Amino acid sequence: MAVGRAQRGVIEDSFLRASLLDFAWLSASTAGRNQTLMTDKIITSSNISRRTALKTLGAGAGALALAGTMPGMIGCANASDEPIKIGFQVHRTGIGAAYGRWYDRTTEAVVKRINSEGGINGRPIEIIAEDDGTDPKRGAEVVEKFANKHNCDIAFGTLFSHVVYGSAPRAGELAIPYFVVSEGHHVASGKLNRYTLQPGITDVKSQVEAMAPFIAENLGKKVTMIFPDFAFGHDHRDYFSAAFEAQGGQILEKIAIPPTETSFSKYFPKIPRDTEVIYHVMVGPAVLTFVKELGEFFGPSRPEIFGFIDSLEAVDLASPGLEFLEGTYFWEGNPRYAQAEQSEFDKVYREAVGVDENGASVSDAKDVSTYAHMFGCWETLYVVKAGMEAANYQGPKDRQKLIEAVEAMTDMPHSFEHPQGAKVFNGKTHQTFGHQYISKVTEGKLMLAHTTSIEDTLYEDEVDYTKMSF
Amino acid sequence: MIVPVEQDAIAVPRTAWWGVVRVLTILALQNRADFEWQRQIKSKSLYFVLTMVAGLLLPGHAVAHVSQQGLVLLLPTRFYIGSGVLVVLLTLALVALLPNEYSKRLFGSLRLWVCEDSQLRSVTSVLSTGFLFFLIYLGFTASYDPLENPLPVFIWTVWWVGFVVLQGLFGNLWVWLNPWSGVASIASRAGLASKHSLPESVQQWPAIIIFLAFISFSLADSAPEAPQRLAVIVTGYWCFTMLGVLLFGVKWLQQAECFTVLLNRFAQIAPVAKYRDELRFGLPGWNLVRCKATTVSAAVFILVLLACGSFDGLNETFLWLATIGVNPLDFPGRSAIVFETVAGLLIANVALVTAYSLCIYTGLLLANRDGYLVDSSVPAVAFKQAFCALAVAVVPIAFVYHFAHFLTSFMVNIQYAVAAASDPFDNGADLLGLGSYYVTTGFFNTPQSVKIIWLSQAGAVVVGHVLSVLIAHAIAVELFGSARRAIVSQVPLAVFMVVYTFIGLWLLAAPKGA
Repeated sequence: MAVGRAQRGVIEDSFLRASLLDFAWLSASTAGRNQTLMTDKIITSSNISRRTALKTLGAGAGALALAGTMPGMIGCANASDEPIKIGFQVHRTGIGAAYGRWYDRTTEAVVKRINSEGGINGRPIEIIAEDDGTDPKRGAEVVEKFANKHNCDIAFGTLFSHVVYGSAPRAGELAIPYFVVSEGHHVASGKLNRYTLQPGITDVKSQVEAMAPFIAENLGKKVTMIFPDFAFGHDHRDYFSAAFEAQGGQILEKIAIPPTETSFSKYFPKIPRDTEVIYHVMVGPAVLTFVKELGEFFGPSRPEIFGFIDSLEAVDLASPGLEFLEGTYFWEGNPRYAQAEQSEFDKVYREAVGVDENGASVSDAKDVSTYAHMFGCWETLYVVKAGMEAANYQGPKDRQKLIEAVEAMTDMPHSFEHPQGAKVFNGKTHQTFGHQYISKVTEGKLMLAHTTSIEDTLYEDEVDYTKMSF
Repeated sequence: MIVPVEQDAIAVPRTAWWGVVRVLTILALQNRADFEWQRQIKSKSLYFVLTMVAGLLLPGHAVAHVSQQGLVLLLPTRFYIGSGVLVVLLTLALVALLPNEYSKRLFGSLRLWVCEDSQLRSVTSVLSTGFLFFLIYLGFTASYDPLENPLPVFIWTVWWVGFVVLQGLFGNLWVWLNPWSGVASIASRAGLASKHSLPESVQQWPAIIIFLAFISFSLADSAPEAPQRLAVIVTGYWCFTMLGVLLFGVKWLQQAECFTVLLNRFAQIAPVAKYRDELRFGLPGWNLVRCKATTVSAAVFILVLLACGSFDGLNETFLWLATIGVNPLDFPGRSAIVFETVAGLLIANVALVTAYSLCIYTGLLLANRDGYLVDSSVPAVAFKQAFCALAVAVVPIAFVYHFAHFLTSFMVNIQYAVAAASDPFDNGADLLGLGSYYVTTGFFNTPQSVKIIWLSQAGAVVVGHVLSVLIAHAIAVELFGSARRAIVSQVPLAVFMVVYTFIGLWLLAAPKGA
């Protein structure tokens, strides 16, 4: 089966994209005309869609008939066979391409699963993927295409924060719900708008702050932070130092590394001798060199070391130089290695995406996934499904109802829909909160050492989007 | 990686003037230093100049993969670089000692068999046209995903990378597959042959301008792979070129169609080539020595090829991004640096043509002066003559840079191309029976495979330079008549090539951030 549609189980809207003439016409038309044309085309193509939908949903399952009895399936009385169109803003090219590949793979897997379960309100999901180039301007263009050209019901996907920043205002202007899987604090900070939500992945502020209790209680009270000298590192510096000091800890030194640096030995003498814990969040191609040189600097007697897996996401822990990390700790958004107490939910999720017990592709043991982040695509689309079903979503006119339905959500139990763990959604801040995982490198694998409570991840609301008008 | 952005990064559009100034002056960079690391870098004198020089010499990666780059940084690249430079130096020493006759014989050729032009070329060209139209149709109608739609993966991976490399290895395949000559042949038989042609004075300047526009699009546009956008551009370019051929004859392809000009040049590297009615075989590049550039524009086109390929690599490096004030770990996207990219590309081209010209000029000064080193009975060689003739010597370098630069992206994207071929209409078909098919980048994750990839790239770069040194010497012997004059004339160009090898390999190991 080829990569893409077949795995996604999408419905082909063959008429919409049937000819060059259509394209030329669409390009030249006004938005209003577009709307009319697309509506006509969708109606015309309904027979094709039905056939494809039935095939996709699985004849044996009798999916449409059973849909109403499936967990989470409500409001199917008026089910249409038209697909729910979800615009997937994906980093296909640019600096985020490595993440984009796994976001795409996870999205295909979850769409296939949702469709096999009967879709949303009895309607299958159709993913319309567009490359944002990991570029904010292009990201905004893509969101606009989802709304005006592809007639998508919602936009979904992207990871890198600057793309979210660039795209969210356009989503707000076009009144299209924009479900991001970005992990940034931008949503909960109140800088975006009511149409932008992050219900499937926790934000960096809650992640970082939740590390403070574990480190203070288990690793040491005197920390030296090593971070790249730009906003990403600064966020860690600011969030963690405040949270750690609130735990009675002390930040001995904050060592900012220039982003273009590729050799780090000269910075290590700045580490105070009484440091008990090194907190590092280095990213980029020089990470392996950083770890290697850190190992050479400390030798066998090192302080405790804590890092964020962002540094080594999609990197094989068997890479040279990483032996030094044995016995050190990492935050993980979702444990890369299947744990002894692996949940049945993680097992199903892992299999669906095609990831083995070591977090690599089932087709290539060296192709390490972005396991700590990509679950967000899976969970977000299940939130979308739940929201649309709660709102009895019928089409773009119900977009506001969809947002209100998601805003009304609170508890999201650990389940097949949320394989990473239970979550609590904050409708006011449009941000979800959940357990964080701290793993210890043991015999070259990340073994779960601690799971934070959700309470550890909470902070004061910084915005109430529900008070904003649509 | 989740990278919270600074607020000023949101306001990405910048003025053209500011962008150009930013690229052109180090002072502008210093004024925009936001962090200490930027100030440290920008305060270094001559940084910009060094960056531009380095940039001309860089083969790079089109696909950034953290693990691969991390592993490359751990390789003993200094040793490899030193070895590569040594090989080029030894080649230079060898050619300096080589008798004239050997230099000439080196690029001789052997007849394989008689080979006349085949009428089949028109048929295959028409079929190629039909295939291109089919791809364009898919570009408009199939997946919007650039890695699933057959058009972008074919154009950017199969053709622009794979086919171009095949052309350099196996000779002029393009003459069979270009999508215009067959239609032109039909038009000619139908009595639609044009009686006009572009003036000779136009030379190949149109091809240079179009090629620069193409590279600008590929480097600076935010979505050059977007299927529908690419379909529009490919359609427009095919129509534009076809119109040119119909109005000005097939010679249009030699003067204005930059890909034909490029592919014809690369084909001359191949060991097998057609000469008159014979298929002949020789050392790679023998046909380049035979087909020296005869016009300034033909020579400049070759230099533009090299400059564009080099800048394509440079613009992803930490070095370049820091120069234009961009944090390589927080790359703001192509749209934020359009003007810097285009300005950098143009500056790179001007810089390379200037550097080459200086080498030629200085070499002529040495070779044409009276004195005991040279034979004054042999007439002086004019600058234009040497400039044109010696330009073909850099064709192998441009070719291997193309290979080295795109190798990694090709290894990934060819997998998408296979998937797209299996499901061209994006309807879930599996024509090739791939079953569960996952694209992998696992080969970027092990030291062994990364080492093989890197050494393949570096090896190609060294081989290209060695070939260039040999070709340059053979041409110089032809030009100057005596080995001594040829050697003296080659001193500046030899220095250029050694430095080019060194910095090129060094930058091959450099970290990338875009």
